[in-house]
Amino acid sequence: MRASLQWLAEFIDLPAEANLVERLTLGGFEDVEITATGPDLSEIRVGRVRECTQHPNADRLSVCKVEFGDGEPVEVVCGAPNVAADQKIAFAAVGTKLPDGTVLKRAKIRGVVSSGMICSSRELELGDDHDGILVLDPDAPLGAPLPEVISGSDRELEVGITPNRGDAASLIGLAREIRALFGGDLRAPETDPPETGPAAADAIRVEIEATDDCYRYVARIVRGVRAGPSPGWLVAKLAASGIRSINNVVDVTNLVLLEFGQPLHAFDLAKLRGGTIKVRRAVAGEKLATLDGEARELSAEDLVIADSERAIALAGVMGGANTEVGDATTDVLIESAHFHPGRVRLAAKRYGIQTEASYRFERGVDRLGVQRAADRAARLIAELAGGEVATGSVVAKGAAPTVTEEIRFPTDRANKLLGTALSKQEMAALLERVGVRCASSDADELVCAIPSHRIDLQLHQDLTEEVARIYGYDRIPVTEPMGLLRGVERPRLWRMAECSRDALVAAGLIECQTLPFLNADWLAALQLDADDPRGRAVRLINPIREEEPLLRTTLLPSILRLVQQNRSRQLGRIEVFELARLFRADGAPSRWGPSLPEESLGLAAAIAEREERGLWEAPTLLPLFFKLKGIAKKLLDQLGYVAWFPSASLPPYLHPGAAAAIEVGGVVVGSIGELHPDVASAFGLDVGCAVMELDLEGLVVLPQQQVRFHKVSRQPSVRRDLAVVVDVEQPAGEVIEAIRKTGGKDLISVELFDRYAGKGIAKGRTSLAFRLVFQRYDRTLRDEEVTKTTDRIVKMLAHRFKGELR
Amino acid sequence: MPAGVDNLERLEEEACREIAAAASLQALTEVRARYLGKKGSVAEVLRGIGDLAGDQRARIGQLANSAKRRIEMVVSERRRALERGQRDRTLGAERLDITLPGAEEPRAGHLHPVTRVFRDMVEFFTSMGFSIEEGPEVETEYHSFEALNIPKLHPARDEQDTFYVEGGNALRPHTSNVQIRTMTGRTPPFRFIAPGRVYRHDLSPRHYPMFHQIEGFLVDERVTFADLKGVLHAFGRHLMSDDIELRFRANHFPFTEPSAEMDYGCLLCERKGCGICSNSGWIEWGGCGMIHPQVLENCGIDPDRYQGFAFGMGVDRTALLRYGIPDIRLLFEGDLRVLEQV
Ligand SMILES: [Zn+2]
Repeated sequence: MRASLQWLAEFIDLPAEANLVERLTLGGFEDVEITATGPDLSEIRVGRVRECTQHPNADRLSVCKVEFGDGEPVEVVCGAPNVAADQKIAFAAVGTKLPDGTVLKRAKIRGVVSSGMICSSRELELGDDHDGILVLDPDAPLGAPLPEVISGSDRELEVGITPNRGDAASLIGLAREIRALFGGDLRAPETDPPETGPAAADAIRVEIEATDDCYRYVARIVRGVRAGPSPGWLVAKLAASGIRSINNVVDVTNLVLLEFGQPLHAFDLAKLRGGTIKVRRAVAGEKLATLDGEARELSAEDLVIADSERAIALAGVMGGANTEVGDATTDVLIESAHFHPGRVRLAAKRYGIQTEASYRFERGVDRLGVQRAADRAARLIAELAGGEVATGSVVAKGAAPTVTEEIRFPTDRANKLLGTALSKQEMAALLERVGVRCASSDADELVCAIPSHRIDLQLHQDLTEEVARIYGYDRIPVTEPMGLLRGVERPRLWRMAECSRDALVAAGLIECQTLPFLNADWLAALQLDADDPRGRAVRLINPIREEEPLLRTTLLPSILRLVQQNRSRQLGRIEVFELARLFRADGAPSRWGPSLPEESLGLAAAIAEREERGLWEAPTLLPLFFKLKGIAKKLLDQLGYVAWFPSASLPPYLHPGAAAAIEVGGVVVGSIGELHPDVASAFGLDVGCAVMELDLEGLVVLPQQQVRFHKVSRQPSVRRDLAVVVDVEQPAGEVIEAIRKTGGKDLISVELFDRYAGKGIAKGRTSLAFRLVFQRYDRTLRDEEVTKTTDRIVKMLAHRFKGELR
Repeated sequence: MPAGVDNLERLEEEACREIAAAASLQALTEVRARYLGKKGSVAEVLRGIGDLAGDQRARIGQLANSAKRRIEMVVSERRRALERGQRDRTLGAERLDITLPGAEEPRAGHLHPVTRVFRDMVEFFTSMGFSIEEGPEVETEYHSFEALNIPKLHPARDEQDTFYVEGGNALRPHTSNVQIRTMTGRTPPFRFIAPGRVYRHDLSPRHYPMFHQIEGFLVDERVTFADLKGVLHAFGRHLMSDDIELRFRANHFPFTEPSAEMDYGCLLCERKGCGICSNSGWIEWGGCGMIHPQVLENCGIDPDRYQGFAFGMGVDRTALLRYGIPDIRLLFEGDLRVLEQV
């Protein structure tokens, strides 16, 4: 809501600007600001047309002699039909900067030199009317800057209004708030119209068919009006609130809307058929051309205003072109009504239009303010556009809305909720400031009468908020809550996620977070099996990007795209991970409820081959797989699990020769591996990339390994190195396992320290070098004991793996 | 005999001078031999006292011995100095170029800025006895809206801001669904936080379709708005600064009554107004209030017996401000050059 401060001051005395902004801000209004945002009209002056004569060479032009305070009167050519001698007008002298930024020059128009311009509201950016000039109040002081004589073009107050406070979306609404916060007296505008014409009821009947959608409909009639340009003050007031001037009749309805917050509509009575106004639901498919020039096909859900034949307005939203008030209009019907907020909101949403009227109806207007607004509009139209106000109004009534008129307010509970110790009298005084009348019942209770414009006040808690708001939230004490001290434990999955992050960060990876949206092609690129549940994803109805309508079932596409994007940023080191929810759409039962997709916490990591090493450090040449395997092993260690990496259950997007499952206690909980080259190229990756996936939810239900102390030996250990040549296909893990078994309990460690194929080794064979360490707790091992065991190992290797000592 | 005494004093003085001047261990050995050796000067003095009277001989002998000890001490001091000098010269030849960069491995990874801020927040609340609760990200309209007292036609429920999935559910626009799920079917007291990821259908310079919130709830028989202020003040001090100033503005949320928005005093300009706080001196922090009785009732809790507070705030903006990141998109676009700075 935007309004001229000068105009607001007509309704209540205003405090200093800074004070006003602060209190309104603390009192519940958002983004409160006072600005000078209107067009800069300070160089435009009040002038007077001394003489007005016909232009010698043009029928439609006049030549005016204009005086504007100091200096000689000047001669000006004017094209407006409404210019006349003795008018006070807005005058721009030669050299004046106009609102559009141009500087006015002397010009010769059809042979007459024009030394200035008599401005229309359009040229001043106050309205759309450019047929006529802006005519000022005859009392306006000659030569004064224009902003001094038309209110509203200087300082504007802008406030954001929360959805519950539709009652504040008017000048009187704001003035009421200012009274609540600062005190003072409201000055209400005059409303009584001079009823001199024949009875309105003779001209029109009003019927409410949709009684649930319309509580009240008031019609007033003004006959014999002259629709035309509005006076300057009216144009300026509307402009300050962001409404452009149309003509004096329509402008009055908008002015009253701004004053009272009650939307009005003016119909051309002559265009109304059958002398009837009907408030009814539209017939599905019924057509209405609205005032914005759109031809609309209506729904049976829409509430319309109709005459005896057709719809003439979309109720509460916008009028129809078929009954529009124009220059030729003489008789006007003014509608002031109370429509159902939800009904108006539905229509405004369906047609995607928000108008000043629909905005207010949606939030609920004062049910007792309907008549007052109609009266005020009739009075002003008669005043500004002439004409005769018909006697009485035609009123129709629908079903009364449910309203709260009285609330019993337990003041002790208000104190208990706020943590304050306000007396009943203090609370009553605070509530009276917002117009709630309080009577005392028993010791701790006030009986509160709710003003009709405050439809948001329904519960005693709502009144507690009013008390707090007017008292000031900042004056409520600051205390610490009391209650039982209880230890809290973070959920196990939460701890596991945190521990995973720490382990991966310690391994040098960077944590990323990405949007959960997937393109179907990315999912397809993973070449999942037909029965893989990850192939079916939850679909968004309104995705942010049409091509990414799915919620992710796997983190892989997100993380591979991230690797690719960082490659294209030419980064040399891309080692990343992400933890996020995954969504399943395969009908798996969800812990969150039957209609919801199951969600689980997924973890994925990716490392890309590094292009450059540290400039002077020796590179490590281990394949990516082993780097990631080391990371995975450490991660699971940290989580408290002993992991195995068998080459079974491999996902199809991994390189079949460089991948392994992650298995804990016989359960597959993830996978690691280098990316299948086809998948890599589908994601535009031009370097090797290894990925890890871990199902944290699958893991969290498995028992963790207890950390147990095992004693350390004081006896010396014996070390033996052993190189054995085996078949190149022979998995080294099996050889290590066999050595460990054969070595018995004295063999405390087996480590592979070299793997070599090439010169000196037969084709198809590879040399594995192991370091064996023997040690006992009770005594020193003798050399011959160790040799005996080693010999047994060598024999076993020869027998089982065709291993030859090297 | 005075001549002998004089002699010794002079000898000692000369010896100290020569020792100090000895430039190498070799030279030092020679100087020592010259004075303290069997044929050295001190020995010579001692040899010359044989013909002196007994008491005099004893005195000179004493003096000579102490001179000998003093010279010996100076020699060993000098030797230590010479030896250390020599070792330093040897080590100096092995010196590293300390301006070369340090080892790359192990290279530190980085937590996401949002994770870091979340941890900080969660640590505070768990230390105050708030448990951590979670809920689904795809949520029913009931848990996201209706149970929170946001009716279908309410202007606060702008469907254009919500991501709907096929079947009528939606990505949650706030973490308040966790409030409903946690409270329903349980009996107060409750003290919990709901940290999590939320979604709004909005992609503009100031908004991103995905962001993060933390909400907190305390429900008991006597929990007041004043307590809410107390908890948030303590939280603000923990999260930002001991000097943090908070401001509570009246506002409207369907799920709290009374409701407030809270701001904190801009720490950059100390409330004088700057670009970060749009010259207002205040930065919006979040919303809070006393849980609406209808919401309690929706969860099966008697609003005449129990009352409680709720608050919620964004996490991402705190992360942006803390690390000086200018744009929320930088958090989620995965540019490692950004993420490795935090
Ligand atoms: Zn600032």
